[in-house]
Amino acid sequence: MPTQGSRIYPEVLGQLLEMMNERLKQLREDFDREIGLVTTETEATELRDRWVGRKSGLLTAEMKTLGKLTPEDRRLAGQGLNDLKTYVEAGIERLQLGFAAGREAEQLVRERIDVTLPGRRIATGHLHPITLLREKIEDIFVSMGYTIEDGPEIETDFYNFDALNIPSNHPARSWQDTFYLGDHLALRSQTSTVQIHAMQRRQPPLRVLAPGRVFRRDTPDATHNPMFYQVEGLLVDRGITLGDLKGTIQEFVHRMFGPETQTRFRPSYFPFVEPGAEIDYSCFKCNGTGCRVCKGSGWIEMGGSGMVHPNVLRTAGIDPEVFSGFAFGLGLDRLCALMYGLDDIRLLYENDVRFLEQFT
Amino acid sequence: MKISYNWLKEFVDHNLPVRELAAELTMVGLAVDAVEMVGNDYILEIDLTSNRPDCLSHLGVAREVSAITGCSLKMPVIDLKEKGMPTTDITSVEITAPEFCPRYTARVIKGVRIGPSPAWLVARLESMGQRSVNNVADITNYVMLEMGQPLHAFDLHHLKGERIVVRRASPGERITTLDGEERELTEAMLVIADAERPVALGGIKGGEDSGITGSTVDVLLEAAYFTPLQIRQTSKALALSTEASYRFERGTDPELVSLASDRAAALIAGIAGGEVSKCLVDVYPHRKQLRDARKPINFRRARYTELTGLEVALPEAERILRALGFEIEAEVAGDLLSAKAPTWRIDISIEEDLIEEVARIAGYEHVATTLPGSAGAGNYLDGESGRRAARRTLAAVGYNEAISFSFVNVETDAALSDAEDEDRLLLFNPIDETQSHMRTTLLGGLLQALERNFNHGNRNVRLFEIGKCFRKSDGERPLELERLALVATGARNESDWLAANARLDFYDVKGAIDALIDNLNLPAANYAATEKSGYLHPGRAAVISIGGRDVGLIGQVHPRIATQYKFKQPVFIAELDFGDILTAQKIEPRYQPLPKFPTVVRDLALLIDTGVTFAAIESEIAALSIAELVNVMLFDIYTGKELPDGKHSIALSLRYRSLDRTLTDEEINAAHGRIVKRLIETFGAELR
Ligand SMILES: [Zn+2]
Repeated sequence: MPTQGSRIYPEVLGQLLEMMNERLKQLREDFDREIGLVTTETEATELRDRWVGRKSGLLTAEMKTLGKLTPEDRRLAGQGLNDLKTYVEAGIERLQLGFAAGREAEQLVRERIDVTLPGRRIATGHLHPITLLREKIEDIFVSMGYTIEDGPEIETDFYNFDALNIPSNHPARSWQDTFYLGDHLALRSQTSTVQIHAMQRRQPPLRVLAPGRVFRRDTPDATHNPMFYQVEGLLVDRGITLGDLKGTIQEFVHRMFGPETQTRFRPSYFPFVEPGAEIDYSCFKCNGTGCRVCKGSGWIEMGGSGMVHPNVLRTAGIDPEVFSGFAFGLGLDRLCALMYGLDDIRLLYENDVRFLEQFT
Repeated sequence: MKISYNWLKEFVDHNLPVRELAAELTMVGLAVDAVEMVGNDYILEIDLTSNRPDCLSHLGVAREVSAITGCSLKMPVIDLKEKGMPTTDITSVEITAPEFCPRYTARVIKGVRIGPSPAWLVARLESMGQRSVNNVADITNYVMLEMGQPLHAFDLHHLKGERIVVRRASPGERITTLDGEERELTEAMLVIADAERPVALGGIKGGEDSGITGSTVDVLLEAAYFTPLQIRQTSKALALSTEASYRFERGTDPELVSLASDRAAALIAGIAGGEVSKCLVDVYPHRKQLRDARKPINFRRARYTELTGLEVALPEAERILRALGFEIEAEVAGDLLSAKAPTWRIDISIEEDLIEEVARIAGYEHVATTLPGSAGAGNYLDGESGRRAARRTLAAVGYNEAISFSFVNVETDAALSDAEDEDRLLLFNPIDETQSHMRTTLLGGLLQALERNFNHGNRNVRLFEIGKCFRKSDGERPLELERLALVATGARNESDWLAANARLDFYDVKGAIDALIDNLNLPAANYAATEKSGYLHPGRAAVISIGGRDVGLIGQVHPRIATQYKFKQPVFIAELDFGDILTAQKIEPRYQPLPKFPTVVRDLALLIDTGVTFAAIESEIAALSIAELVNVMLFDIYTGKELPDGKHSIALSLRYRSLDRTLTDEEINAAHGRIVKRLIETFGAELR
């Protein structure tokens, strides 16, 4: 059923449809010509408004004329008109996309920056190399069950010497070697003093690691400072042997310098241990073949060690027939110098930022 | 100690090539530092530990080689013919200070011809780095290097009364030693005297006018044992160290004295001619007591294994100890032996010493590595997580970590600290008078570091240090207080090329401390202006407190101090009682629900007196107790010529929000209006 218009004779209708097709063909040609002439985005918008604008668009108006046709013709003509509309809209959209892409490309060029200009970072500081080493060593020993302990830097004769089995006429006690603040008060000359405090506080089993500052009356030069850092380790338990000392140090050295590092123990003398041993480890620079760092020997001296002297155990109230233990000490400054290739350890305490900023 | 490979072979006929010998010695505790080829010989440089003076000779080292290799030790062949008069007819020896000289021997060789030494002797001494003097002097040196016993030769006729008195020096007594130095002596020093005067510093150096000269004919040869302590003290007091004193102060063998004298006398007679007097004069008053003091020590096989993890058969332990000169006393039940240490081994007194002897010759390298059983978790030092957090926070905000000496210049320290003079700790024996006191503040070290950095052209410096400061106390030990200090100066951010000229100021350091305190999980710090610090700019200094407790100071270095340091740019410092901070009550983080309703921001610009502090403005606003006010942020302070004198413009951003509803414009306007009104009324501020 027709919804609008009046009846028209079929022959006239046939003519109308033909005219309509002719008209669509003409319109498509017109559009193709016009779109070819568009050069700006504004012209593209105008083109769109003129052809498919909701109120005054050419095709919109054309749609309105369809009402005069029979339903069958209206369907056919409407489809043709819709096809044309789709064609026009696609053409304009393509055109507009092209313009948008151009606009974006322009913007991107305009916004180009010099990525090689320096980054604006907050200049971060650096931890002191002694701290870096100390923390690494602490971490290793804590993971092996040791407790980190600290003791006073100003010590009495008893802790600094007597309890460590250092005889009363030992040169280390002299005013040439140790800083005194009174007849019986000195700056500690080794962190071994912490051993004694620890053993007095707690009964074995004991695993203690004591890092800290120590003082010796050395005039500063390329290899000496009157103050330096030591780490002292102590383990006391039942049945502890020299083998346990070797194993512990080897484990430490593997974690510190890598599993290929070898250790060597040779007899030596420190008053607070017996038997005593000097610990060497294979040079991390040349892996033991000999170089400047290890002075050609392939070995680097790490520090003193040994089985805790029975006098030391007894002084701390531990029965040496029941318990035994080992102790070891190493100098952080020297280790630092070796690891980083420092040729003058005075640099460690001069706090020149150009030096400090080299370590992370 | 230098050891000649060829010379050593005279005492032990081993067949180790020099490199192997060096390695073997090193592994028994005689560390060979270097091997040098000299002519057809090798010289081994041995770094001896202080407990082994017995190895300060070829014979001593040969004994070690004998124990290592099992090759027997060959003592030097002494071909001594005593053809002269009895020694007691020529001279006499008296010891009045046996506590310093337990044994003194003398003999006379008459009719010697002083002259150059034979080539072999010169070569030996030279290979040891010693200069040849004359035949008699060279022989005394030779025997010392060979056997370890220092000897001295006098010209008999230069000794008044031709006799020897071994005594303490009288106070103020003087002697001119061989090196031409006149030395004043004390009663604590031993001299070898003749009938009238000192002729030698016993065991250290001979006197100038009593020694051998080219015209000497009759020689009195001294061989003695001096106690180590007196030698060390005298040598130190006179700043005089010799080959002889080096050996005596470490400890020589009192029983070697006569043998060494025999050896030297035989060589002198053989090389320089002359007749050796009959019977050595040997004054050794307490020989028996000294011998009896040497007690046998037990060596338990089980104890050896307990301590070293090594196993040893008792015959092997016995072999090692015998080779080292120990006398084996007894063997009980196959598991224990008893040994007496030789007189030259002053370092042996307990079982563990014997265990070390056996173990070091058996070889530490044979000790199998084991690990002690697990002992549970370890622990860091109290406060260590705080220390690590502090270090990393400060590094993250641009500060480098410094470490300074614990001793400082007292004036510098006093200028930067509130410690009283009587609280300070003085070193009795500083190396340097400018570092004579224990620090009471870390600032001295940091400013000194800054000075050095300026001298090296580093103008942008940010440093921090964590360390102990010291003060006297009534307790057994002084107080050791852990502190943390910062110093900052120069560019705010060197790498910011858009603001390259921005200098850091008070608020940068304050920000660093706020970051630190925040990362330590502590409540926010409060800053109160202070004019009381003598080293801080009175208008740019504040007391820092946390939870109502003062924990430190922050500010710009006072211009007066800056001038003393010749600082040409402002320097900012802060110091905290870090020990207190580490133990302060931490905040336990609790979840706060996130806001469900929108926040509205209102800005406010006020023209206000410059004397009105930000804290005062904040507290006025807080006094209104506006529940919807979330916070007040400062976003600008403007000072310009067009503003009235004494005024500046402060721009604030106020944020409003309610927990249970969306605020209406009317509600916000009302709250904001109250704030504006209050600030205008209280401070006479004007809206801009
Ligand atoms: Zn190497």
